[in-house]
Amino acid sequence: MMIRSLLAAGLLTAAPAFALDINLPSETALFKPSTLPGYALVQNNCMLCHSVHYIQSQPPASPRAYWEATVKKMKKPFGATFADADIPDMVDYLVKTYGAERPVATKPAATK
Amino acid sequence: MATKALVLTAEALRRRSFLRQAGTLGAAAAFGSPALEALAAETGRITLPFENGERELVAYPQKRPLILLTARPPQLETPFSVFNESAITPNDAFFVRYHWSGIPTSIDPQTYRLRVGGNVNTPLELSLSDLRQMADATELVAVVQCSGNSRGHFEPRANGGQLSNGAMGNARWTGVPLRKVLEKAGVKAGSVQVAFNGLDTPPLGDGPDFVKALNLDHALDGEVMLAWQMNGADLPMLNGYPLRLIVPGYYGTYWVKHLSDITVTDKVFDGFWMSTAYRIPDNQCACTEPGKAPTKTVPINRMNVRSFITSLANGAHVKSGQQTVVRGIAFDGGYGVNEVAFSADGGKTWQAAQLGKDLGKYSFREWSAAFTPKQKGSHELLVRAVNRIGQGQPASALWNPPGYMRNVVESTRIVAV
Repeated sequence: MMIRSLLAAGLLTAAPAFALDINLPSETALFKPSTLPGYALVQNNCMLCHSVHYIQSQPPASPRAYWEATVKKMKKPFGATFADADIPDMVDYLVKTYGAERPVATKPAATK
Repeated sequence: MATKALVLTAEALRRRSFLRQAGTLGAAAAFGSPALEALAAETGRITLPFENGERELVAYPQKRPLILLTARPPQLETPFSVFNESAITPNDAFFVRYHWSGIPTSIDPQTYRLRVGGNVNTPLELSLSDLRQMADATELVAVVQCSGNSRGHFEPRANGGQLSNGAMGNARWTGVPLRKVLEKAGVKAGSVQVAFNGLDTPPLGDGPDFVKALNLDHALDGEVMLAWQMNGADLPMLNGYPLRLIVPGYYGTYWVKHLSDITVTDKVFDGFWMSTAYRIPDNQCACTEPGKAPTKTVPINRMNVRSFITSLANGAHVKSGQQTVVRGIAFDGGYGVNEVAFSADGGKTWQAAQLGKDLGKYSFREWSAAFTPKQKGSHELLVRAVNRIGQGQPASALWNPPGYMRNVVESTRIVAV
């Protein structure tokens, strides 16, 4: 009884005693393989800071101007350290793999 | 200068003893201590109703399987069926939104400290026990909703987090009014805003730390809270353990998680997340012509009115000739919803819905309405709400470039069989 009331009093004023500790699930999303030179660059330059989901979930009609502005935003102001020289190839890979310049989808009939 | 002191580098944070962080690729696996694991890695898939809306359902620590938007940092959307369970969103189903991948994954509540400084008479370093003893705990039921909730439904599409309608939740928050803390520190004359920083950081240290600010009078209104509990339990880590800023009626961007620093400023805080991001068109509708940029913007602020059907999803079947009771939720930015109307014929006729229990003006308000489909086939159900100051919902969707504040009258198509 005394223990219970002490506990109750403690709950009112004291902070929890133990550290809260979590392990995040492992990350599985990967960039789509490509022969474009930007493929290797995005794996290094984008995945250092965030998962591929940010890219693969964008609307497929996203134009080149969007990808270019976003890659540049990652450098300034967001602080990514990749070289300016990497940007054109990164943008080219992104818009041709996830954006408006994807190859036209193969017709279902042709794939069957 | 006040703003300078707000910029904490990732390195500085890593040196803090109470904290362990995730962040850049490979950083997470280096620790051996026992920790809460996710219950299962992958537990299914879901397709959100817009192009490229396929998502995994993944259970994160302290969470049931939720819709995975991004893994690093974790961004999780609540499956919409949860909102039909109760007016209060369970902690393990509550959505998660972060901006930077440097998020805390281990926090010791004994050594955790909240710093209060800037333009104050007495800078403070408060433990969680200090906060609990500062005033009687207050409770408030309030909705937190992402600015970009429902962005995936924008037409034309808006870039950013492609969310359906599940980046919102309603909880009972327990904590102390921010005003008590600011009074204890003593806000100096001439102060203008209060800035809030949490333990999350940019992974590389050079990006703009996620810091938000409120005007001083808002921060002192007695309703803005520092909360350590939601729904009677400690905050889950991914919802801001051990302390979160509660800004009733305002979009979630202001509800800073893992709150570590409160800084009173003598000028308008001009960090990136206030001055560049989270801006809306400075007009009555917070909207522009689709595809057009606004000429002038202001920081996003109070939420607009929304309402949803929760008991029936698109494509659901009901019995023709039999009464169906449709249920749902409505909310606004804190004036309180006092009128919900329901239409079973695509908006030709409307009936008043019955409002459920009033949990407070910042809460979801449940509603219900009965209808009997006379004919078999498709029926378009609509719901619209009005708040106490007469604000309603637009019949067709408004648009703005960042994809914020969607609040169109929602339509649910069902089939009577």
